[in-house]
Amino acid sequence: MRRFLERLLGLDRRWIFLFVLLSVAIPIIVPIGLPVTTTESTRKAFDFIEALKPGDTILISFDYGPSSAPENDPMAEAVMRQCALRKIRFIVIALYPLGGLNLANNAVAKVVSEFPDLKDGTDYVNLGYKDGASAVMRRMGDDIAGAFPTDQKGTPLSQIPIMKGIASLRQVQLVFTVATGIIGEWWITQVHPQSGTPVIIGPTAVSAPKYYAFLNSGQLVGMLGGMKGAAEYEKLIRARYPEMARFYTTTHDFTATKGMDGQTVMHLIVLLFILLGNSAFLLSRRGAPR
Amino acid sequence: MTLPPIGVWIAAFLTISALSFLYKDNPFFRFAESLFAGVSLGYYIGITLDQTLVPNLIEPLAHDFGKNWDLVVPGLLGLMLYMRYVPKIGWVSRYALAIYVTYYIGLDFTRRIHGEAMPQVARIIQPVFGPNPLAFVFVIGVLSVLVYFFFSREQGPVTRRISRLGIWFLMISFGAAFGFTVMGRVALLIGRLNFLILDWIYPILGI
Repeated sequence: MRRFLERLLGLDRRWIFLFVLLSVAIPIIVPIGLPVTTTESTRKAFDFIEALKPGDTILISFDYGPSSAPENDPMAEAVMRQCALRKIRFIVIALYPLGGLNLANNAVAKVVSEFPDLKDGTDYVNLGYKDGASAVMRRMGDDIAGAFPTDQKGTPLSQIPIMKGIASLRQVQLVFTVATGIIGEWWITQVHPQSGTPVIIGPTAVSAPKYYAFLNSGQLVGMLGGMKGAAEYEKLIRARYPEMARFYTTTHDFTATKGMDGQTVMHLIVLLFILLGNSAFLLSRRGAPR
Repeated sequence: MTLPPIGVWIAAFLTISALSFLYKDNPFFRFAESLFAGVSLGYYIGITLDQTLVPNLIEPLAHDFGKNWDLVVPGLLGLMLYMRYVPKIGWVSRYALAIYVTYYIGLDFTRRIHGEAMPQVARIIQPVFGPNPLAFVFVIGVLSVLVYFFFSREQGPVTRRISRLGIWFLMISFGAAFGFTVMGRVALLIGRLNFLILDWIYPILGI
């Protein structure tokens, strides 16, 4: 045993990479279906949207790029599906320069194909991307058409039914920012104090810890923290709307719930290596001359 | 069996090229890295032109100049920024940059005060021994961390112990943040492997 642990100290790290690769790949091929427990921050977000009335409008801001899509895509899709089921209208924008718009287009197209009754311009609208996120938010606080004169297809906002009666962010019932980096924080620290519009954030796991402070201070309604938060939201949606299970049980599509299998197995592997590595280190120190 | 489209093959090749760095540095990785940097920059320029400059500046000026003449000012300021590439009149760009920086300082100042400092300070004003049993720990944590960051005076025996406690609070929060970071990075790997398996390998195998 001692010799085995000593050999571990000199282990080529590429073996660890291989273990990590296999621990993530195998659950994708053979889903395990490990249980997902929900947290209060995700339940609050879910309940807030559930409490909105049919015909209310929320703004969904795609503030992330392809690099964090595995975490953020499932959040955006889950919330849009919930909106479609609850007849809540949604306005889509993208403020992240590198790929935010493409991800928004893909997510909207996917959800619209799942809910063919959704009508562009009436039930939802995609306003596209705008550069300079902070200045865009400032402008939207007073005048959305000033920041987005047209939708993605070039239709002026005055001719879009969903935008009737929505001149500024004060007239939307919620901002849901699916975010990586600083843009999500600006919705909380800049838009919320100016317009009073409630904010829910779906950050990447890397940025999630800092948002707990905003959650505790009441500046955020709820939060979906990383892939775990997205998986929790998927669970809540499936529990409330059993017919939605068809989107989350397929083996040929990616879901956060499925991703959490890989996460859990990989975390166990990392824990195992931490234990083995530290044991080997302590044993080697004990045997070394003082 | 339907083979995946050419775009999926290219994406798969670039994904494997990027991941190949984990084995060792190689030309495929460098190619993927350079291509990514170049494509990102090109995409950023294109999307800003198409989604921001055309609908918010060029089209309003072209369609109704009389009503939108004020857009000439930000348009000129934007152009002035590029004057730094002309050495003789490079100083012109400083005026545009000064306005740009001033705007964002003003915006950020309000944001920090109203959006961060005030609500967070208000949050820690609560009964220490109230209904929330964690409030005491919360207040102790805030105060001890603040003492740790108080560098204006040399620490005495008491403040040194308090700041030591602050370090413990900081370490716990760093540990939580690191755990989340690991989860985030693994999520990226899950995303790439999902793509390789579901979108590339499965169609090739006809699954």
